[in-house]
Amino acid sequence: MRHLVESAFTATILTLLFAPASSFAQAPATKKAWTPPRTPDGQPDLQGVWTNNTVTPLERPKGLGAKEFYNESELAAAIEKERKRLGQAEEEGRGTEPGTAADVHYDFSQFGLDRAQANLAWNRRTSIIVGPEGLIPPLTPEALKRRAERRARVKGHEFDGAESLSLSARCIARPNVGPPLLPAAYNSNLQIVQAAGYVVIESEMIHDARMIPTDGRPHLDKNIKQWMGDSVGHWEGNTLVVDTTNFTELNPYVDAQNLHVVERLTRVDADTVLYQFTVEDPGMWTKPWSGELAMTRLQGQIYEYACHEANYGLANTLSGARATEAEAAKNAAAGRK
Amino acid sequence: MKRRQFAVALGAGLLLPALPVWAHHAFAAEFDQNKPIKLRGIVTKWEVTNPHSWIHMDVKGDDGHVVPWLVEGGSPNSLYRLGFTKDALPAGTEILLEGYRAKDGSNRAVGKNITLPDGKRLFLGGSAPGANGDDGAKK
Amino acid sequence: MVLAGVLSMAAMPAWSQTSAYRAPRTADGKPNLNGIWQANNTADWNLQGHAAGQGPVAELGAVFAIPPGLSVVEGDEIPYLPAAAVKQKENRANWVKMDPEVKCFLPGVPRATYLPYPFQIVQSRENIMIAYEYAGAVRVINMGAPTKAPADSWMGWSNGHWEGETLVVDVTSQNEDTWFDRAGDFHSDALHVVERYTPRNADILNYEATIEDTKVFSRPWKISMPLYRRVEKNARLLEYKCPEFTEEILYGHLRKKGSK
Repeated sequence: MRHLVESAFTATILTLLFAPASSFAQAPATKKAWTPPRTPDGQPDLQGVWTNNTVTPLERPKGLGAKEFYNESELAAAIEKERKRLGQAEEEGRGTEPGTAADVHYDFSQFGLDRAQANLAWNRRTSIIVGPEGLIPPLTPEALKRRAERRARVKGHEFDGAESLSLSARCIARPNVGPPLLPAAYNSNLQIVQAAGYVVIESEMIHDARMIPTDGRPHLDKNIKQWMGDSVGHWEGNTLVVDTTNFTELNPYVDAQNLHVVERLTRVDADTVLYQFTVEDPGMWTKPWSGELAMTRLQGQIYEYACHEANYGLANTLSGARATEAEAAKNAAAGRK
Repeated sequence: MKRRQFAVALGAGLLLPALPVWAHHAFAAEFDQNKPIKLRGIVTKWEVTNPHSWIHMDVKGDDGHVVPWLVEGGSPNSLYRLGFTKDALPAGTEILLEGYRAKDGSNRAVGKNITLPDGKRLFLGGSAPGANGDDGAKK
Repeated sequence: MVLAGVLSMAAMPAWSQTSAYRAPRTADGKPNLNGIWQANNTADWNLQGHAAGQGPVAELGAVFAIPPGLSVVEGDEIPYLPAAAVKQKENRANWVKMDPEVKCFLPGVPRATYLPYPFQIVQSRENIMIAYEYAGAVRVINMGAPTKAPADSWMGWSNGHWEGETLVVDVTSQNEDTWFDRAGDFHSDALHVVERYTPRNADILNYEATIEDTKVFSRPWKISMPLYRRVEKNARLLEYKCPEFTEEILYGHLRKKGSK
């Protein structure tokens, strides 16, 4: 087994070292000469198992201002730095300080879940969010008010019951599945299957299959809200354009009451799908925001990620909270004596 | 041993993970950072579940009494992609564990580092003796 | 064993149990099973024939009593081994506490097919995805050379091939934690299911599943039922992400006193 793990590590490092900066990072609007294959019924073929894990952060790091792209030498230096860091981390053991909250975790590397063993895509973008700011825009005053009110309501009740925990911890939804589809720390994988009139995007976590009809039908009536919203799609040349509305107020962006997401998926080469998205909600953000990243072909497949069925962590979190409260109550009583 | 923060930002900022690493689950709410633990025992079962896998192990105390423990690990899905199967950690395997105890005092721990008696790190340095990792599954 | 696709061009096989309906083809020449389908029976209550009965929640009266239903089991007998028959009776007596459907756990195969919710078949050349409305369950049937599962799972591991007009799916590696119905019918991790989906006409599929489990049953047995196309305009699967509806059952005992 050792050779399998080592070669996975090496292969991934090679991918990190030698993956060319995706050409889409230079000028996304440029028409590509490459023609995607077609499904038997004539749709551009987006099918396969893809990973959207990336090194690029969602928002632009502080201090980079309007810098949207690293130049080739900056990128080469960053790749080399990361290669060294991952190589060292492997020798020295991944670093967190014992006795800290951050140290209370299984080791990602032992389960193949760390970045050294992930199929990460490099590109020259400084952030997934495009444009001069590269940041999620400010919240509107109403959204700030809603957020403050919600936070005041939940303060002190973070562990009352299952409903107090995050949708992720409850195995109901993973916000990075959105839409828009954003990377997860691991298992950041999805499978696309196409048939006449439908494109399905199944995210590995939490086995969420988004069924996207391309027959021109309207959205669901506005009374039906769904965790992943309601998606309808159509083709513009080789690009699948997906329009999603009918989100709840809790996912993927808490407090957004009128979320509208548009995604564009274009196969740009045999092993890459360009994924672009725009998020808007005038009651939530002062303006829309857009991003793009590459989805690259995954060596391997999606496996079942049943979550709720063995979610012992949720029970353990609540029982841990009850134990902490009991301890605090006992200490308070002892203190009063 | 030099320790470094996991996923630390290094200069160019290219290396910040796109999302908080532990966004989906607050482990520190479940396990106590002030209760580190070292266990040595025999695997009785490896539950290859999501969102986390669980290793059941029997630990013999100084009094000779055997106590079952339950150890939380990672999602097995990427292990499958690396060619491992459910037989990669068979019952009867001896393992050593460093981790943290559950806050509620039960015999549960999160396994920060799991090694085999020869020092190899589980799933990294080598597979458990008797493990069937080579089933021809494509990587 | 995979039969050569060319057989489907020959005369209808003698074992076809319907008249010779030839379904329209997908662009790659296979019987077209695409669409949204749903069983319309009470198999999920009880695979065997059953009269109406008192429901588990008295206040829900006739809204949630047990409806009557015909058997979907060929021969109307589920051939439990003696010890397993005892376990089934125990399951049935305690079904509200024990049935994984109550907890919104993934249903496994074949139960996913006849739950009272629609499912959608999305058929590509390389694989066939079946997405179920219940709990967002989903599985991908590998239509290439058969592969093996690295571990058991709730929805099992599906390898499929065509036999004439019929999609045959071989399902293995299911864990032991699912039931077949709300009447406590169960299996072990040795379960082996072979499904057959055969178009009967433009809007109905004939569905059969042969069930084999040497740890629980004395012989293989078979269920069969029609699956009806959801023909309404813009029919679609909606989200039935049910974990949140089970939190009080699963975690209510850990709630902070005085909250909610």
